[in-house]
Amino acid sequence: MIVPFSHVMILSGIVFLMGVFCAVARRNLIMILLGLEIMLNAASIAFVGGSLHFHLMEGQVFALFIIAAAAAEVSVGLALFVCVYRRTGSLDPGIGE
Amino acid sequence: MINWALFNTEIYFLITAAGFLVLSLLPKADAHRDYQTALALSAIGVGVALAGITQQGDIFAQAYRIDMFSQVFKVLLSMGLFLIICICSELKSIPERLHPEFYFLLVIATLAMMILVSSVHLLTIYISLELSSYCLYILVYLRTEHKRSLSATIRYFIIGATASAVMLFGLAILYSFVGSAYLIDIVNTLPAIIDRPIVIIGIFFTLAGFFFKLAVFPFHFWVPEAYHGASNQVAAYIATASKVAAIAILIRVIALSGGHSEYLAKVLICLSIISMTVGNLSAIVQKDLKKLLAYSSIAHAGYALIGILSMNHAGYSGAVFYALALLILKFTCFFVVIKAATEGQNPTMAHLAGLHQRSPILALALLVALFGLAGIPPTVGFTGKLLVFSAAIQQGYFFLVLIAMINVVISLYYYILVLKAAYLTEPDRPLSELPTPMSVKILAAAMITAIVAAGFFPVYLIRIAEAATAVFI
Repeated sequence: MIVPFSHVMILSGIVFLMGVFCAVARRNLIMILLGLEIMLNAASIAFVGGSLHFHLMEGQVFALFIIAAAAAEVSVGLALFVCVYRRTGSLDPGIGE
Repeated sequence: MINWALFNTEIYFLITAAGFLVLSLLPKADAHRDYQTALALSAIGVGVALAGITQQGDIFAQAYRIDMFSQVFKVLLSMGLFLIICICSELKSIPERLHPEFYFLLVIATLAMMILVSSVHLLTIYISLELSSYCLYILVYLRTEHKRSLSATIRYFIIGATASAVMLFGLAILYSFVGSAYLIDIVNTLPAIIDRPIVIIGIFFTLAGFFFKLAVFPFHFWVPEAYHGASNQVAAYIATASKVAAIAILIRVIALSGGHSEYLAKVLICLSIISMTVGNLSAIVQKDLKKLLAYSSIAHAGYALIGILSMNHAGYSGAVFYALALLILKFTCFFVVIKAATEGQNPTMAHLAGLHQRSPILALALLVALFGLAGIPPTVGFTGKLLVFSAAIQQGYFFLVLIAMINVVISLYYYILVLKAAYLTEPDRPLSELPTPMSVKILAAAMITAIVAAGFFPVYLIRIAEAATAVFI
């Protein structure tokens, strides 16, 4: 492994924090969803890094499954947001308060 | 070669779900036909789950474990599904053309929880948890007419997706430091490295996803809103089956640490205390019965956590017993309030006024169930609390049990408020008798009998719970 394992973990940690920041600070449902996707991708990086570190394939399989699950999550989320937009005309997460 | 016979309960529910998928594609909607089909199929489902209770084995490259623990929880989950479908006869809050989809999602959510309780690999845990969550997000939204359902779903979805993303990152950390995604390998490796801060962070991130399911303190904000916005039957499902599955997977994951972690126990004690207190204190002021039950389920998550955090055999089996008690008691409460709110609207205290005259058997069922939730003998709720509290005392958590007992007294106050509404408050105008067909009376009588009988003779159930958790010792 050319890149040290710790660097991979630090990278995934930074990406995860960026995702958390995006999900927490934005007041737009699409941007929140984007932040959540970034958090999932950070986990994928960590899995692939761990898989290379231990020379096991499990982590890479995990990354593939995460991609599929994230697509399902986005489809549920975006369908929901379309309903929100049709009904209220805005994408503010605080609707109905 | 995979032994598919071990997978028969899940296959049965998958076929059931496929049947409802076909029904949802038919041009003509027929609520009665869907209800009858669902009732019959879920009743057979309980039978299939019971038939497989003694099965044992590993399938799917050891990622899927069939043992006493998983089979007991599968029976509980299929019972939960059956009971929920029993109260779907008047599903007025969901448009008729969506009924097949409603049953489809309900069955898939149950199937996902069954896979969850059998999971012994991080990947199966993640996938099944996500699958059940996605079904529940859509189920909450299905009450399309109600103005609160949209904001409730948004909140539920965002908090749920965040919790699962955090959990996934926790799983990634655990995997990267252990080098295996099998729980059995993690159990063997974890006690040696559990003092490293990054591993503790990984465990807590992992627990976030399960805490969200169980509605433990930092992830409980969605509960009142989701119960309020969802149709009554969906709220009942989230309060019963979903909680049972969450308790099951929490036991499996906490058992990973082998009881060696000081930090873990301390943090869980804090979360348990905060959940109980926040849930009970917020429940006192609620007028909406579903919100009251929502806050009380946050409190009950705290009690169940006491059993789990004791990290001994008595604690785990107590938590299993508590899951069973919660399933029966919460279901009975929801059953009565749903029947009292005849039009499918959100039930409030006013709907209960004069219930003892309008339908004595429902009022009695409510009385027994609320006393059970408060932990008054001789109900199954008392035995459940006794088991988890005595497990905590064994571990020397006297202070925790003391706070829990104070919380039980607080909770008794608002349970008795509900009973006062049902037994002492007279309605403003004379209300006609509630329509209680024979099936409702039989169900109410069966639930009362189950609660009291399990309170008097808990020994068989305790034995089953102990046999189920024997795999962790």
